[in-house]
Amino acid sequence: MLKQVKELSERFGIDPGVFKRLGFMLRQETVFIADRKVMEFDQVKPIRRGIRFCRVFPHSVKPTTWAMQILGKHATRNCIDVTKEQAVELINGKQLKLNAAAENGFVIIRCSGHVVGVGHYKSPILKSQIPKYRPVE
Amino acid sequence: MAQYLQDFPEEFVERYSRLIPDFADFLKVTGTASRKTIRVNTLKATKQEVVDWLGDLGPEALPWWDLAFGIRDVEGIGKRLGHFLGLFYIQDAASMIPPLVLDPKPEETVLDLAAAPGSKTTQISAMMQNTGLLIANDSSSRRVRGLVGNVDRAGCLNVAVCRMDGNRIGRLLENSCDRVLVDAPCTCEGTIRKSHQVLNRWSVSAIQRFSRLQNGLIVSGFRALRPGGLMVYSTCTIAPEENEGVVTYLLSKFPNAFVLPIELPGFVMRPALDTWKGESFPEPVRHCRRILPQDNDTEGFFLALIRKGDAEAG
Ligand SMILES: C[S@@+](CC[C@H](N)C(=O)[O-])C[C@H]1O[C@@H](n2cnc3c(N)ncnc32)[C@H](O)[C@@H]1O
Repeated sequence: MLKQVKELSERFGIDPGVFKRLGFMLRQETVFIADRKVMEFDQVKPIRRGIRFCRVFPHSVKPTTWAMQILGKHATRNCIDVTKEQAVELINGKQLKLNAAAENGFVIIRCSGHVVGVGHYKSPILKSQIPKYRPVE
Repeated sequence: MAQYLQDFPEEFVERYSRLIPDFADFLKVTGTASRKTIRVNTLKATKQEVVDWLGDLGPEALPWWDLAFGIRDVEGIGKRLGHFLGLFYIQDAASMIPPLVLDPKPEETVLDLAAAPGSKTTQISAMMQNTGLLIANDSSSRRVRGLVGNVDRAGCLNVAVCRMDGNRIGRLLENSCDRVLVDAPCTCEGTIRKSHQVLNRWSVSAIQRFSRLQNGLIVSGFRALRPGGLMVYSTCTIAPEENEGVVTYLLSKFPNAFVLPIELPGFVMRPALDTWKGESFPEPVRHCRRILPQDNDTEGFFLALIRKGDAEAG
């Protein structure tokens, strides 16, 4: 497993077994994640394999919203639960002030049992890291 | 009928009033939007969760697939939180049928030869339970961007996105795919309900141009199939030259191409044509199916299910 993937799986308490059948690829500071068969495929050169897992910065690794929406359901720590109204605010780029049982740094934002995306928590401010999307109402 | 006729090119009416026995019903329905439908994205949500999220839109289960729901048409469904979370995908019911007929299985290798923007790719990915290899190809850079976005949002981990001419990909993947979808570029006559603009671009010469492109793509898709593999050829158009004619072309080139019957209980489909403008199509082409907008309150579609036999034995 790539060290960036190990780091994030530890931060979010994701059982490494979740990644058993998946492969990873680091390209231009971005880690991609896909089924192993997708990673091994070489008859044609794809422009994209699976989805972006994280971005690698000099001092941090930032998980992506889309990857966490599919894999974040296995997270057991550093998750913050919000209401639907709060989720909408975060998606639309606002920040929230709240006290959460999470360490400072990247967190997974959840709502009604679903992962909304990634945020950055520096107690008590939760900033959205969710990509710009059409406005959500 | 006259009130609808004025929107249609004369030649269009002349062609399709012969082909569609209940042409008046066809015209009438094209003046209205098709029923709004969604598909549950099982990679992210259960059926019950989606029903709960869309409760105020009165989701109604459709009889032919337990993951398809009709909903009340309201402004801004694409702006809903549940949509952002990728729990469901807004998709016309007819467009869900080609993947259902293809019936991809987990762990398989599947090619979606003309995939953008990915309605069917994301459906196939979910049907494969996010495992195996789904090669989603399209030749248009602009449309591939939309495809990648939908793959991200739906959470597809089993997709490799390629951008190349579909005519080339068959030789590169020769005999290697368990299933292939060729959801071909076409004149889109079946989508008139969505936008009457297709009529502005409509012409018989466009039909002929697309039909030549489709001949190449169906052959390429067939090459990519392994012996024993299955291919669905589909279009959202009515023109026989782009449908029965293209399947006939494939059969003329490959004696090991076999057209199979298609069934989807609860969904009305009509048999393919046996003749058009003096040309008779081979008997097996009758197994193909036409979806007309007035039958299920959808867009129009055409479907062929083809099996690749061994080169010698068939
Ligand atoms: C009917 S649309 C596909 C819709 C798609 N299957 C879906 O369900 O979202 C046809 C697609 O064929 C693509 N196309 C046109 N010519 C092509 C070619 N030569 N090779 C591959 N794709 C092509 C177009 O860019 C277009 O996206």
